[in-house]
Amino acid sequence: MDKLNSVLVIGAGVGGMKASLDLAEAGFKVYLCDRSSAIGGTLIRVDKWFPDNHCGLCQMLPVFSADNSSRFCLRRGLTHPDIELMPLTEVKEVAGQAGDFRIGVTSRAAGVIPELCISCGLCTEVCPVETASEFNEGLSPRKAIYTVHPGILPYVYTVDWDSCTKCGACVAKCPTQAIRLREMEMIKQLRVGAVILATGFEKFDPALASQYGYQRYPNVLTGIELERIISPGGPTDGDLLRPSDNRTPKSIAFLQCVGSRDNRKDYCSSVCCMFALKEATLLKQANPEIDIHIFYMDIRAFGKDHYRYYQRARDELGIKFIRGRVPVIREDSPTKNLVLTTIEENEASIKRQFELVVLSVGQTPPPRFQELCQVLGVELNRWGFCRSGLFSPVNTTREGIYVCGSASAPKDIADTMVEAGAAADRASGWLERRMISTTLSEKTVESAAEKEETPRLSVLLCDCGQEISSVLDLEELAESSRQLPDITCVMRIPFLCDDDVWVKVDQELRKHKVNRLVIGACSHYFNIHLAKLGFNSSSAQIVNLREHIAWVHRDNRQAATDKAKNLLAMAVELVRALEPEPVPPMSIHPVALVIGGGLAGLMAALSLTHHGIEVHLVEKSAGLGGNLKQVYYALEGDDPQVFREDIINQVKTNRLIHVVLETELVKTEGYAGNFVVSLKANKSSLYFLEVGAIIVASGGEEYRPTEYLYGQNKNIVTQRELERKLFSAELDLKNMGSVVMIQCVGSREKERPYCSRLCCSWALKNALRLKEGNPEIEVTVLYRDMTSYGFQEEYYTQAREKGIIFVRYGLDGKPEVRQEEERLVVEVAEPVLGGRLVLESDLVVLSPAIIPPENTPLARALGVDLNEDGFFQEAEMKFRPVDFLTDGIYVCGLAHSPRGMGESIAQAQAAAQRAVSLLTRGSLVSGIAVSETIQRQCSQCELCITVCPYTARMKDVESGQVVVQGALCRGCGACVVACPGGAVKLIGFKDRQVFSLIDAAF
Amino acid sequence: MAEVGQFEPVIVGFFCNWCTAAAADLAGTSRMQYPPNIRPIRVMCSGSVDPVYVLRALLGGADGVIIGGCPPGDCHYVSGNYKARRRMAILKTILATVGLEEERVWVRWISAAEGARFSRTMNELTQAIKKLGPNPMKKDWSI
Amino acid sequence: MSSSAILPVGDGGILEAVRVFLGSLWQKKLIDVLLVPLELPSGGNVVPAIVSDPSKLKMANPLAPIMPLNSARQVSAITRASPSAERLGVVLRPCEMRALIELVKLKQVSLENLLLIGIDCLGTYSAGDYGRFAQEVKSPASDFLRKFQEGKEDPLLRKACQICEYPVPMNADLVIGLLGTDLNNSILLKAGTVAGERIIGELGLKKSDAENREAAITKMVSEKAERRERLFAQVRKDVRGLEKLMATLATCVNCHNCKTACPLCYCQECFFDSSVFQFEAEKYLGWAQRRGALRMPTDTLLFHLTRLNHMVISCVGCGLCTEACPNNIPVADIFRLVGDKVQKDFEYVPGKSLEEELPLTTFREEELPNIGT
Repeated sequence: MDKLNSVLVIGAGVGGMKASLDLAEAGFKVYLCDRSSAIGGTLIRVDKWFPDNHCGLCQMLPVFSADNSSRFCLRRGLTHPDIELMPLTEVKEVAGQAGDFRIGVTSRAAGVIPELCISCGLCTEVCPVETASEFNEGLSPRKAIYTVHPGILPYVYTVDWDSCTKCGACVAKCPTQAIRLREMEMIKQLRVGAVILATGFEKFDPALASQYGYQRYPNVLTGIELERIISPGGPTDGDLLRPSDNRTPKSIAFLQCVGSRDNRKDYCSSVCCMFALKEATLLKQANPEIDIHIFYMDIRAFGKDHYRYYQRARDELGIKFIRGRVPVIREDSPTKNLVLTTIEENEASIKRQFELVVLSVGQTPPPRFQELCQVLGVELNRWGFCRSGLFSPVNTTREGIYVCGSASAPKDIADTMVEAGAAADRASGWLERRMISTTLSEKTVESAAEKEETPRLSVLLCDCGQEISSVLDLEELAESSRQLPDITCVMRIPFLCDDDVWVKVDQELRKHKVNRLVIGACSHYFNIHLAKLGFNSSSAQIVNLREHIAWVHRDNRQAATDKAKNLLAMAVELVRALEPEPVPPMSIHPVALVIGGGLAGLMAALSLTHHGIEVHLVEKSAGLGGNLKQVYYALEGDDPQVFREDIINQVKTNRLIHVVLETELVKTEGYAGNFVVSLKANKSSLYFLEVGAIIVASGGEEYRPTEYLYGQNKNIVTQRELERKLFSAELDLKNMGSVVMIQCVGSREKERPYCSRLCCSWALKNALRLKEGNPEIEVTVLYRDMTSYGFQEEYYTQAREKGIIFVRYGLDGKPEVRQEEERLVVEVAEPVLGGRLVLESDLVVLSPAIIPPENTPLARALGVDLNEDGFFQEAEMKFRPVDFLTDGIYVCGLAHSPRGMGESIAQAQAAAQRAVSLLTRGSLVSGIAVSETIQRQCSQCELCITVCPYTARMKDVESGQVVVQGALCRGCGACVVACPGGAVKLIGFKDRQVFSLIDAAF
Repeated sequence: MAEVGQFEPVIVGFFCNWCTAAAADLAGTSRMQYPPNIRPIRVMCSGSVDPVYVLRALLGGADGVIIGGCPPGDCHYVSGNYKARRRMAILKTILATVGLEEERVWVRWISAAEGARFSRTMNELTQAIKKLGPNPMKKDWSI
Repeated sequence: MSSSAILPVGDGGILEAVRVFLGSLWQKKLIDVLLVPLELPSGGNVVPAIVSDPSKLKMANPLAPIMPLNSARQVSAITRASPSAERLGVVLRPCEMRALIELVKLKQVSLENLLLIGIDCLGTYSAGDYGRFAQEVKSPASDFLRKFQEGKEDPLLRKACQICEYPVPMNADLVIGLLGTDLNNSILLKAGTVAGERIIGELGLKKSDAENREAAITKMVSEKAERRERLFAQVRKDVRGLEKLMATLATCVNCHNCKTACPLCYCQECFFDSSVFQFEAEKYLGWAQRRGALRMPTDTLLFHLTRLNHMVISCVGCGLCTEACPNNIPVADIFRLVGDKVQKDFEYVPGKSLEEELPLTTFREEELPNIGT
């Protein structure tokens, strides 16, 4: 059976978009459907993310052949030629099997025909119906015919059938007859090889927790509502104003775990602590006077750099953290302030008043998720999320259908991005790969500008109905355009977005032998038409007469027309000065190097071979398996040792994998697609390998405690040692009286300010196992914040039910372990009663930190960075979690940061996906806007090499010249500015062109 | 043409593709009104704005120049805006030292989500330049 | 690296002492060739020359108050393409040494196989003044030093030298120290690096401390700094504002000699000499139309402002741009004035340290709060 090339992604939130982009970049055809009318999911309502308070959304766009998508960041649209967006679409039927699914989808009519809609917005103006805007979380009104968000492109209008009264006012007003007020459903059949479920989450509805008065009290908001209020695009234009009186609140309380970690929702939503921290941080930074309290049970800041963020919020910004539940909120009616009665750790009940309360609501499965999963034939877990496996984190229970992001468990963006990559990796295994060097880049269209040297220009002016012509004098513009140099013809067209007019345009342009084009229209991209006519984004310039002039300078027609004249003249100058610049494609060596033979490395290697990639797997030690060798149990019940044997066996018998033990990488030369790595085996000389991609899976280590008398008493052990003893049954559980576990040994300390993420679940696992062996054993866990995130919370609950005692301690009151003759005694401050707790213990178990090995030599050999803690530093924390800034090198597993087995596996698969996407290209073609060096003018000062963020520039050893790998260049232009001699040029934007462009501005 | 006697400045804007140019689009789709004096030029990154471009615009007769980039930390190209900041700092110091009205050159970090801030900035900039009056270099044939 | 030694001054005077020292580098096989200023046979000038035959040292005169060009560029010419194949000693003045360090950062000089010999600089004359001076006196170098020792202000000194606050070379392996010593008896040889220290050892020189040196340097620097501030005030008065600036540049003929003389304008081809500035005829006419007239060649002010942009952060203030100007435009005054501000803004002293990154290749996340909001 021939494999199919297409894949269906359900859900166009951040996970679905990432999976789609990964797959499309790898050359597959993607159907991306979403129930709503616009892409973006939850993400487009959020402006900045933890833990760096930055946006960074554009970092997830394709890095190779980026011309098509570089114009629009995801806040504005997704214009990939291989991604077919299917809004208002739901999956109704799934037949067939992995490799050949036949999927029935229904798409609801938007009420507006996208091809006809010119986004003039007249319909919205006349619509008499007002309803609450979902985009602004109901905090501002919208009409029944609307766009989800003005920034999303193409911003075609949609009818909200629920509120539409079908009065027909919009139909009458629409200048292009684009509106059809008939509710219709269209049925479509798709054939795809695989499906990815990326439906995300729905936020818990706090109205269900009536004690908080949500919706009764105007000043009780959800976190995402607050997010909209502080967003510059939100209902208050970014000013923090509370709903009751539009005043800036002086005091704010955040309540954690609303709809998480309670009887109904016995899981942790994993992100709310960080989300609240971020909002509190942003508020404090903008206005240090605001008093902010966060009421919490445990602060779960377990992701990379999250703990630092927490520390900063607490210690530097002065955000107050209070451990305790808030049973109820009351409103002080005259002031509309809110009175919180809290029961705090010392059981005291304290009343506090706040001017605004923010509920940190948890993640729940989206509505009708069960129905969808039934259609897909995949099982749910007991919390109603999609079931996935510990060792197969993105697999559902049905072959060929994969899951990522919050569809399978609550998670943050970074983890979602990892899983999206992993799901793309798994899904692409069922798909037919086609050679993609020719599909994506506009460069492959032989540009008309390159064929003809003498510029022959045409200017096309779009009326956009009246949208442009009602403000700008298009006749005057046409006339002034005719006076511009090298113009052969000027055309005025009523609607340039009407596909039919392009036939006429084509004829005219051919008749005049036009090779450069300037279009005066709107933010429409016209890419398909332009490519057909042989223009690319350099030889055709679009002047946005509508959004940049007509819509924003309504009251000043003459000045607006003058501006339009200048902008057209500027665009004409830019294309006139264009010179043909062929950039040769770069070949790719389709072999990968994986550094590290632990869990992540093994899984990455196996994933690579699934796509036919040859792999060299280099391991420093004498055997495979890494830390996994010492994991005998999993909290969830799976058997890690069986799994380990299985994957090692698979690796050893795979003819595409060459395992090299006791070997280290010492040097890397070259660049993505063409690395030469130097390897050194123990005591032997160096040898070299040519590889196209490198995956760093060099792992982490357990911290060897120097505290709590470790190493001085055989009854003081680490969790790992306890686990081995449990496995080998060498402990006499029957006669064991009491066990004390101490968490955060070496983690979340001054010298290691990060959470090791695993130790809490590890402690739960071993504590439960002790209880299983002998329910009489008294197990006490001394912890700082129990970090049993996600569904691990279940085991925390179980542990407490089984009588395991949890005692919190603070950094200022760390436990003391003493040896008193034969006995071990642990003493710790007791937070509830305020006294000292003295525990006699047969066994003291320490939960040590996960630390990076000495990574500096490897990082140096690879030319990549480490973070402050010594783990490898990815390109971008949220949106490029497995990439380095240097293309062709990827990271996964503990080398990246502490993480669980399933998380390491997902990351290994995501890293493999990135590598495969690069290595299965026959060659890499550069984008259009790449830099070049004019050798005659080059002084080889190498400033351009220093400033290049992508190592696309290098000194050629043989010629001594500074050269550019066009395929690695993203066209940022840093090198152009760095070069004082004008020896560096950006193709399509050369100094000469820019000078002419500036000249035409006045 | 503008009315005689009323000074309508010409302001050249270098806007980065990822943030400020996107904000300009958002201001457009949200139909936020601002003065038509700006002549926007889309660049990939604020770090690709060579000071010689700014000088060329000023000496060529632009009454004002604005460089718009991603907020610090948000640069699509990692650090282009940080580099731009240093270059523009030097340029402005040079202009200030030789007395060439560095206040005609503005640098602003406007994110893709800040359409309103974009239009507000255009308003403020136009007002400020109107206050400064026409760029004397416009008429000087000897520069 | 604090070791220093005495070079005794005999009957031949200081110049002879320096020549003897330079010759001893050959004798001890510490160098193969030496870049050092030599007196031209005509006597009216001193130019840098590569000496391979030590007997030519009798013409060596690094003490003559003349710097016709900045020798850092000559070191670049020798070592840019590949490191010097022979052990090359270079005798440089402080501003030349600083330019050299900047050029190392710009990959225009390779320090490999180089011995950096710096010499205290008491200032230099313009080529014309020196020519006249050399005709008037028998030994220009000793006459100049004598005048210096008498402590009188020397009106012949170039303006750049009058305000130069770096009379002592930085980053040299060896420094020939003139300040703070009794020039009639001895001059100082001071090691600045481990290599320099070793050489002092190998030459078997008597180790000694120059107690008065620091005080002499401080005194000189503070005097120069005072003069510098006076000059800055004057320059500000003279050039600030478009009108005055254009009056200052009135005589500029776009010859770009300032760029040619600048030790740091290292470009193979100047941007302003490239085809970017060869415009179509219609452009010239258009600009002329717009302003009613057009100065030719065009882009006079753009050239100077852009050169400031490119070079001012690394400007060492040698002043040779002013020397090179055929029409006496005080280019260096403007560069010093602007450079002082820009360099202070980035806490950057050009030529001070090889480790300090060029400010435009790096950044700090938290800085320059006034640029961009």
